[in-house]
Amino acid sequence: MRGIIINIQHYAVHDGPGIRTLVFFKGCTMNCAWCSNPESQSPGLQLRYIAYRCKLCLKCVSACTNTAVSLNDGHLGHSFDLCNDCESRTCIDNCSYDAVTLTGKDISSDELLGIISADISFYTNSGGGVTFSGGEPFAQPEFLVEILQKCKSHGIHTAVETCGWASEKAFREALPYTDLFLFDLKIINPESHIEFTGKPVDLILSNLAMLTSLKANIIIRVPLIPGITDSKENLEAIAKIMHQNQLKQIDLMPYHNLGEDKYQEHGMKYSLDQLKPGDSRQNIAVRDYFLAQGFICEIF
Amino acid sequence: MDDQMVRFTGREIISAPAVPGTSFLKIRYLDSPLMVDIEYIRHLTDSHKLTDGLEVQLRRATDHAYALSHMTPVIHEGDQIAGNKTRFIRGAIPYVNYAASPFLKEMRKEEQDAQSKHSDQGMGGGIARTISEAEQGGLRLISGKFLISKNDYEEFKDICGYWEDKCFMEQGDRLWKNHFAKADFIENGWKIGLYTAPHEPCPEGRLILDYETALGKGYNEIIRETEAKINSFVPEKLTASSKLLFWKAAVIVLKGAAAFTSNYAAEAEKLAANENDPLRKAELELMAETCLRVPLEPPRNFREAVQAFWFTYLLGHIEGSHLGFSPGRLDMLLWPYFKNDPEITVEKAIPLFEELFVKMTQIEYIASLSWQGLGHGNLYQNLILGGVDEKGEPVNNPVSMAILQAQINMQMTQPTLSVWWDEKLDQEFLMKAAECIKTGVGYPAFFNQSTYIAHELETSGLPVELIRKHAAIGGCTEPTLQGMSYGIVQAGFVNHGKLIDLVLNQGIDPYTGIRMFESRNPQTYEEVRSYYLEMMHYAVRNWQQYWNYVMIAHRNTVPLIFCSVFVRDCLGEGKCMDDGGALSNNSITTLSSGMVNVANSLAVIKKLCFDDMICSLGELFHAVSENWEGYEMLRKKALAVPHWGNDQAYADDIFLGLFDEYCSWVKGQNNYLGVPYDPSMLAISTPVPFGKVCNAFPDGRMKGEPLADGVTSPFPGSDVCGPTAVIRSSSKVDHRKIRGGLLNLKFHPSALKGETGSKNLLALIKTYFEKPGFHVQFNVVDSRMLKDAQLNPENYRDLVVRVAGFSAYWVEMSKALQDQVIWRTEHSL
Repeated sequence: MRGIIINIQHYAVHDGPGIRTLVFFKGCTMNCAWCSNPESQSPGLQLRYIAYRCKLCLKCVSACTNTAVSLNDGHLGHSFDLCNDCESRTCIDNCSYDAVTLTGKDISSDELLGIISADISFYTNSGGGVTFSGGEPFAQPEFLVEILQKCKSHGIHTAVETCGWASEKAFREALPYTDLFLFDLKIINPESHIEFTGKPVDLILSNLAMLTSLKANIIIRVPLIPGITDSKENLEAIAKIMHQNQLKQIDLMPYHNLGEDKYQEHGMKYSLDQLKPGDSRQNIAVRDYFLAQGFICEIF
Repeated sequence: MDDQMVRFTGREIISAPAVPGTSFLKIRYLDSPLMVDIEYIRHLTDSHKLTDGLEVQLRRATDHAYALSHMTPVIHEGDQIAGNKTRFIRGAIPYVNYAASPFLKEMRKEEQDAQSKHSDQGMGGGIARTISEAEQGGLRLISGKFLISKNDYEEFKDICGYWEDKCFMEQGDRLWKNHFAKADFIENGWKIGLYTAPHEPCPEGRLILDYETALGKGYNEIIRETEAKINSFVPEKLTASSKLLFWKAAVIVLKGAAAFTSNYAAEAEKLAANENDPLRKAELELMAETCLRVPLEPPRNFREAVQAFWFTYLLGHIEGSHLGFSPGRLDMLLWPYFKNDPEITVEKAIPLFEELFVKMTQIEYIASLSWQGLGHGNLYQNLILGGVDEKGEPVNNPVSMAILQAQINMQMTQPTLSVWWDEKLDQEFLMKAAECIKTGVGYPAFFNQSTYIAHELETSGLPVELIRKHAAIGGCTEPTLQGMSYGIVQAGFVNHGKLIDLVLNQGIDPYTGIRMFESRNPQTYEEVRSYYLEMMHYAVRNWQQYWNYVMIAHRNTVPLIFCSVFVRDCLGEGKCMDDGGALSNNSITTLSSGMVNVANSLAVIKKLCFDDMICSLGELFHAVSENWEGYEMLRKKALAVPHWGNDQAYADDIFLGLFDEYCSWVKGQNNYLGVPYDPSMLAISTPVPFGKVCNAFPDGRMKGEPLADGVTSPFPGSDVCGPTAVIRSSSKVDHRKIRGGLLNLKFHPSALKGETGSKNLLALIKTYFEKPGFHVQFNVVDSRMLKDAQLNPENYRDLVVRVAGFSAYWVEMSKALQDQVIWRTEHSL
């Protein structure tokens, strides 16, 4: 079967052990305010306009069959809703400078497997493998399970990075073919969780408990978003859940705003545009807290 | 995070010299101007005026010995190891006995060779200081970046005048320009940038002496043995009588060397006598005692072994105008002395190596502007660690660790460190090597020993035990057999990018209008490809034959005698290297640069003009000749065609086909020692000047941009599938077919962070070498930091980065080369 991915990264070394291939799935089940990969949220293909590459030759304007792009005050403006539904996308074909591109690629599981398995010797020598990330891999559950199965049948170590918000059934189906879950815990307070991610937290926690009970191999990942996820209460709540589930390891992912440009390029709005990256001393203090709690903890 | 950390990721490993003494030496080096020292050449010239009529080997030995014995022994403040090539901290000997014309042209304000204007030199750091000091009077600037006193300058002018008609280059020119039928092609090739500039100003090198014998026997014993041969010699065949000449020359040169080292013993003794500081006095007394002992007698301990090695290395270095004269497998050489010395420890050995590496970096060379630019001031002294011994057992030992630590501490540009990779090497050693890479200096480079062994077995047919033990790297990335191989002396590089220009323009160079080849009007992909091959064949063959002529003159003017004494089996055979005395003479290579651009261009031609029929050949060629202006859409389509380095058969197969053609064609010509030329490809700085003289290419490259570097490195920006795909492409090349090769990989520091990062790096190397690859080296730096270094050079005085087969001080690199490194680095993970 076929799925939609954003891109594939080789020699990835921060998402699971060893040298890995990282596959970003398109589409997400949550909608986090701080998301640094906004193009991963929507499930379909999306138009991207990279202004700094554009030489304003206006070939796209004349080529567009929907009049979705126009010149205003020396800048190109796009009606992204029209563009994302557009099938012809003549603007892309007519751009010489790669200023208009398409985000997302439709790919079959066999083609994807071919790309992943080309690096088997690197995985073998480094203890690495493949990591499915996103977006949310479980936003395409059937495709995910199929590619996981195929990788396992080739002896490839598999990891899935997930936000946890998916059906219990999907997790149960993926589990036999998943060597490692990189499982996000963001906010434990139910109201705040809904406020910042758009989804309730209880399903995430019950999925975590279910995976733990089935002896899944799990590393917790926490994005450290200043003023949102890094409060004392939230971190203590995360530690408590980890103790309850007898989890050993936690990765801290400090907030960065490097994804900000991508919002604009995809015609999206970034709600945290005033937020600055956190203080590295603060991040170290958080790490020290988890270390003191007896966990393996690293800042990424 | 402080402000700087927000802007870029710094280097993970930052270290400092082990003791205040070596810290002082490094700072002194960084603050010293570049000087020309005419002392050696003055003495050599004085002797040469008196030795007219002597047979050439005897004359060369007599002149060199005279100069050695008259050079001033200079012991600088703080030196623990005796012996310097010049009287200055950073000094160069102008070898006008090799080539006087580049200096004479400068003095007479005549035009330099065509390529000097395309080869930029760096102007920062110590070089900037040179220029400012020159302006303050008393000194003159010469060859762009060196200082010379006004008195010396006048004398040097006379010396150059003396050598004008006698030097190797002039003698060579007379020979080939008058006798070689294709001489015009070579000269036109220089004018259009098809070849690197004449190599005569610095032809020697990629040579490693037999330090094992030098230390094991001591010079006195070698002199005794050789004199015994002379005394018992009976000429039973007329042709054998030349043996006597070489042996006599050998004794003369060794005695000159003995005078050189004895002068250092006397100088150390004199300084000790006048020294008030008891600590320094003791150091100088120890130095005097050491210099009295070695290298004339075998070393008795580790320190004496280091001093004996350094003297022999230096004496070899002084004799010729070398690039790539290398120490070779120093950890293997020094291990027995370390092991048997109860006094020495790794901690005590580290400062000695730190000083040794400063001394190696202090050696400068002055040659033609083109070669100063091409070599970028780098002497390519390659020290290779690890590997296996004759039995196939791993060599890494505590000396290997001390050497790595010394360079982690010092980060000098010389020697460049390498590792012979073998799966049996210790993890601790490999992790230390990874730590060194993470300083960002770009070394050690990793080489796969078994690949080279296979190459050498095939080409030289020597026993595998011998090859294992003597395998080393001479120069940047060319393997050779240390102590038994004629150096790797070649004519320089063929610019395959220029051949693309010529294919697209029916054999005429688009810049100069010079016709190099007959006109063809290719209509099919195959016809384009064969037109290129026809040109490549002709360009390579002429280049090889021209060099054979030149090397006759080498033999008749500047045969290496001291170096021959320490290359097996010159003494046994009674022949210097120029007469074929080395055990292996198949190390003479033909070099090329830019084949990746040819393969990419052919892939684009095939895909756009024939497979997909998007445009005609004529349209594509026209778009390229316009530097793609007005053809941006076509260029986008050209860039979208698979390029080399993405593990896609379309372009990779084209490259592999060209590679095979090249290798077999090169071997079709014998070198001047009677065995086939060995194919090789590497880069040094050629991608920059070669690219500068080339128009745009069909592969999407713009006019004047650098070529792809090395052998199998992808063109910057065209490797869109990541480093593992680059490695998969690169490993399709049969590296056993060539002597040398080069793959650059670049990483952002965060990709190699911590112990896990090091382990992943080692896993990457192992994977490549199991395939099997031959060479890989790494730049580990954030391009944003390099941009900052361009803007604020004063903060980066000792920043070292990898260029090609060498590392260089950032501030001493030309802007063009800096830009190339940034460009490459921006495409890192």
